[in-house]
Amino acid sequence: MLHVEDLRFIHPGQPLEYCFNFTGQAGEVTAISGASGSGKSTLLDLIAGFLEPRSGQIKLDGADLASLPPERRPISLLLQSESLFEHLSAGRNIALGLPPRTAKEIIRQKVDQALGEVGLSGVEHQIAATLSGGQKQRVALARTLLRDRPVLLLDEPFSALDDETRGTIRDLVGVLTRSHGWYTILVSHHADDVEQLAQRRYRLDEGRLELY
Amino acid sequence: MGGAGESHDIMAGRMLTLPHRPFRIAAAVALAVAITVLIALVLWAILAAATEASGTSRVDIPHLLRMTSIQAGLTTILSLAVGTALAWSLNRLRFPGRDLLVGLFASAIVTPGMVVAFGLLAIWGRNGWINQASNALFGVSIGNPAFGLSGILFAHVVLDAAFAARILLARLDAIPTNRLKTGQSLALTAWQRFALIDWPALRGSIPGIGAIIFLLAFTSFPIVLLLGGGPANQTLEVAIYAAVRQDFDLSGAVRLAATQIAVCSVVILIASALAPVPTSFGASASPLWRDSTAARMLQSLVLAIATLGFVAPLLSVLIDGFGSIGRVLAQPTFWWATVTSLAVGSASALLTLVLALALAMGRGATGNKPLRTLLGMPAFAYLAVPAVVLSLGFFLLVRSLGAAPAQAAPFVVIVANSLLALPFAIATLGPPLEAITRGRGKLMRSLGLSGWRQFRLVELPLIGRDLGVMLALAFCFSLGDLGVIALFGTQDLQTLPLMMFRAMGSYRNNDAGAIAAILLIGTVLAFAGLPKLFGKIADAAR
Ligand SMILES: Nc1ncnc2c1ncn2[C@@H]1O[C@H](COP(=O)(O)OP(=O)(O)OP(=O)(O)O)[C@@H](O)[C@H]1O
Ligand SMILES: [Mg+2]
Repeated sequence: MLHVEDLRFIHPGQPLEYCFNFTGQAGEVTAISGASGSGKSTLLDLIAGFLEPRSGQIKLDGADLASLPPERRPISLLLQSESLFEHLSAGRNIALGLPPRTAKEIIRQKVDQALGEVGLSGVEHQIAATLSGGQKQRVALARTLLRDRPVLLLDEPFSALDDETRGTIRDLVGVLTRSHGWYTILVSHHADDVEQLAQRRYRLDEGRLELY
Repeated sequence: MGGAGESHDIMAGRMLTLPHRPFRIAAAVALAVAITVLIALVLWAILAAATEASGTSRVDIPHLLRMTSIQAGLTTILSLAVGTALAWSLNRLRFPGRDLLVGLFASAIVTPGMVVAFGLLAIWGRNGWINQASNALFGVSIGNPAFGLSGILFAHVVLDAAFAARILLARLDAIPTNRLKTGQSLALTAWQRFALIDWPALRGSIPGIGAIIFLLAFTSFPIVLLLGGGPANQTLEVAIYAAVRQDFDLSGAVRLAATQIAVCSVVILIASALAPVPTSFGASASPLWRDSTAARMLQSLVLAIATLGFVAPLLSVLIDGFGSIGRVLAQPTFWWATVTSLAVGSASALLTLVLALALAMGRGATGNKPLRTLLGMPAFAYLAVPAVVLSLGFFLLVRSLGAAPAQAAPFVVIVANSLLALPFAIATLGPPLEAITRGRGKLMRSLGLSGWRQFRLVELPLIGRDLGVMLALAFCFSLGDLGVIALFGTQDLQTLPLMMFRAMGSYRNNDAGAIAAILLIGTVLAFAGLPKLFGKIADAAR
């Protein structure tokens, strides 16, 4: 179980103190919605370790993550944009999900397999800058597969996509979450993303999360 | 807005989006401290000599200060105005050869001052092309506008306006396409477009560029030495050189150096407060938005005049120089000077590369404000302590250590030249490295990339060309240097610029012209070739 407990934070110079409480289950998508500026990205930054909370705990199956630096947390990120290094090929980007000094043969095999899983076989040599928005998000998801970290944080990952593509990628996220048993946390202000995908829904208002 | 990590990340280390790179930071701190100590030693040597030597001296510091300030102020204003107009024109007009022209203006910053001064004399001088033509056609002479204050300003503006234009053009080219689309759909006039779209993009860079130009003009050495025509138009630099090498007035030189350092430090303090925020790099797609016909005619005119003013002197150097190149090539001293110049240039370029890369990477790796300030300082050190002053300091230092200046000369020339290139090298490498760690820090950190992978996969491919540009800058700077070598040069240690200067001093103007042509060609080759080469290397690293 992913358990965020009394996670408190104040942006310097801002009056509001955030206090986050929520739980997520393995293989489930937890959705966070709320007005623009309500603090959704702030919450994800705290979980990912990019911001330091004043107090509180982030527990994954009993182990506290809050003391780990971002790179050591069992977490993958998928942002609205900027998830890839644009100058590297799709394959190179995906391979960054593997430990350094992985054998070439294994890299190729795993990259192929991951691309197959996200339905994008054959683009590994294409430079990321030339991929479409939907393809980029799939490549980023493929990297997430190789990293295979149990927590997946999604910050408006579908916003830049057209309706049809967003449907496909959304379904893909659902499928992968279930099959890999991830704790997926989805930030979105689109009602239909939340309805289609989430098993558990929170609304963020005045610095507090409310189940609805 | 993608979360909190984008702009507020320097705040008191609260944002943890910077990858953890203790080794980079430690290396940068060590180098910054080493450079600071070196500069401090040099300053100490100068000040110690100043208190010691209290003999009478005839240097008129207030007069020099006034003249130099007027000259540098005028240079700055004129260069910024011309540079802005030129960048504006280049940004709008599309024509065959545009890239070549932009490249040419970019090379202004490395074109040796001596070469430009020589070219101006060849065109505007007493026996220059224009006087010859005017004498032949109308039987009147136009005098010698290439001499004195007008000549100095002319030469400075030729170089510095092109330098400013290149930077400002990059700002204009980076204006987001969507902003241009919006402006075009609102049917802005050419003037509105400049005021509402261009100027806001340029404004942030103007004070920083202005400060650099002011310092360059204030400390200008070869141009003033060649075109100044005596004490009336000296800079402090030239006065120091004259005091040391001509009048043997060491106490005067030291007082001048102290003044020079004080003034430059004040300008730098002001400038660093005004330093432009590094914007993201990369150009947006070129728009199909043409200004009105009148505006386009003005742009073409600006471009034509600027091109003529910049290209004509250099062309004249090449044409005149090749006439007498045979005589020079036959001299063994020429070949020695060439070898010396190439060796000094390469060594100081490599040293600059190491220093700039280490300092810029260390600075990019930390969000700690005092530390960032410390790591930014070496970039300014040399501007505060320019070529001739640094040489003087080294000279005094070496002497007080009991070593012979001639033995220390090669070392001093290499170190001094690479410190001279350092501000420009850091200005070239710093912003892109910074943009990478700021923009991609979250991603790199969450992927747990090691420092080496960060360099190999992300930084090297993205800054490869900049590395080439930086090496070319450093190489060309020391290839064209006269300020350091003029004080430290000996019969054994003679570079091409020093040989050229000596040739002019003994009225062998044809020899000087031939060397000027060779220097110009070497500069252009290095400046055009190195970035291409490194671009290729970087592509291979992808
Ligand atoms: N570094 C910071 N310093 C001060 N205030 C900040 C900082 N980062 C974010 N904020 C403020 O905190 C609030 C929450 O920001 P956050 O980015 O988390 O909102 P969000 O819910 O993700 O909004 P959106 O839906 O627009 O992405 C905003 O009011 C924002 O202005
Ligand atoms: Mg957000």
